Order: sequence, then structure tokens, then C-alpha cells
Amino acid sequence: MSVAVGTGVGELSIFLTRAQLVRYAGASRDFNPIHWSDRAAHALGLDGVIAHGMLTMGTALRVVTDWAGDPGAVRRYSARFTRPVVVPDDDTGVELRCVGSVTAVSEDMVTVTVEVTCGGEKVLGAVTAEVSRAMAPS
Amino acid sequence: MRAAQIAEFADALGDVNSAYTGADPVAPPTFAAVLGAAAWDALFADPELELALQRVVHADQTFAWHRPLRTGDTVTGVLTIDRVRCRGAMEIVGVTVRLATLDGEPLVDSSSTFVHTRAAS
Repeated sequence: MSVAVGTGVGELSIFLTRAQLVRYAGASRDFNPIHWSDRAAHALGLDGVIAHGMLTMGTALRVVTDWAGDPGAVRRYSARFTRPVVVPDDDTGVELRCVGSVTAVSEDMVTVTVEVTCGGEKVLGAVTAEVSRAMAPS
Repeated sequence: MRAAQIAEFADALGDVNSAYTGADPVAPPTFAAVLGAAAWDALFADPELELALQRVVHADQTFAWHRPLRTGDTVTGVLTIDRVRCRGAMEIVGVTVRLATLDGEPLVDSSSTFVHTRAAS
């Protein structure tokens, strides 16, 4: 009974680079040019190439699956795409910070909320995962 | 679902969870979006709907899993338009892609909201 509202589940700091966007484009079959061409991104009024929303969302879920161990424990996951993550064309990339904590516990589910920020600004909103309580760490 | 496809996706997420490798790997949960996107493509390509992909923004995303996607699964998806709201030139479209095995075993429901801005005519 040690999982309670407010329990921290972990933190993750990841540097997203152009190389990772190319990898994700290939693995996800999402070849939208705004994820690899500054020209295409600028044409849509963006400050530059942006990360795939699903890459950011998938990265944030690692906080939850690293904590749960078994990714099959995650039963539901949702997020809003609130702000694009601009990825510079350099070797460092841009830092994505993900911090997870337990925000609700029911009979069969543990709800984890993840704060996802880039340069101190939220890039995803209402990032919530429901984890099977029977499979969650106790 | 092939092991190489799962490994490639886990690698792209930089995720080294041992569930994604070995003899009988499962896919990282958000791989469901990759399969669901094939159904989105059909939605955006439907001439009757007059949606232009370059004017579509993915606003939110929810997944509800029945079980993880595993190597060897043959997956099929059915997309339903749940609701459409219009606000000026903006159309807010809610869709759900239900992924299941060929035998009809439900795998994951992927629900999305897309905001489409109609071109000035």
C-alpha cells in the first residue's frame, strides 16, 4: 500500500537531436517534411524543424514504463499536443524533461501524470497514464 | 508485427526496456500510433472529406490497450469518425482507430482529435 498520491515515479532528461528525428521518421513511417526540413517548417510558420508529437509522447511514457518495468502494465495513456518542440541542427539537440508522479489511486488502477517541459515550458498537456495496480510497483 | 520492426521503433525512442527484445518481444505501447496512422492516411486521402493534410494539426491523443502488440500479431484497423465540430474555418474532427487481430481480438483503441483549417475560398 505504499503507492500513494504524490509518490514520484521517476524523471527523465533526454536530448532530442535531428539524428533521432530521422530515426523516428523511419521507424514510424512518418515522413512529414516539417520533421526534417527547415524550409518546410518555416513555410508553415514554425521556427524550424520540430519533433514528431508522438516521439515526444512516446518518450514521456518511458518515465512510466521504466517505473512499471512491464510496458504491458500501461492500460491507458493520453496527452494534448500544446507546443511544438523545435530541434536545432547541432550535435547537442534540445533537452526534454519528463517528471512523473502518482496523481490518483483506485482499486485497480494507478494514475500517473507526467510533466513534460522543454526550456522550462510545457510542451504536452494533461499527460496521464493509467497503470494496472496489480502490476505497478508497490 | 515483426521483431525487427519492434526493435527499430524501440531504438528510435531510445528505449532499452528488455520487453522489446529477446525471443518474444512486445512493441512499445505507442507503436499503436504507427499502425493507426495507416488508417489516418485513408481518412486524409478520402476525396469526399476534402481534408488537406498540410492544414491538419494533431491536437490530442489517447490510447486504451486491451493487451500489448506482440511479434506475430497480424493487425487490422477500423477507423470511425466520432464527431465533427465546426468553428469558423476550423473543423475539429474526433476519430478512433480500433486495432484488432485478424481473428477479432481487440488490441488497442487509438483516439485522436485533429484540427483542420479549411482554405479560404
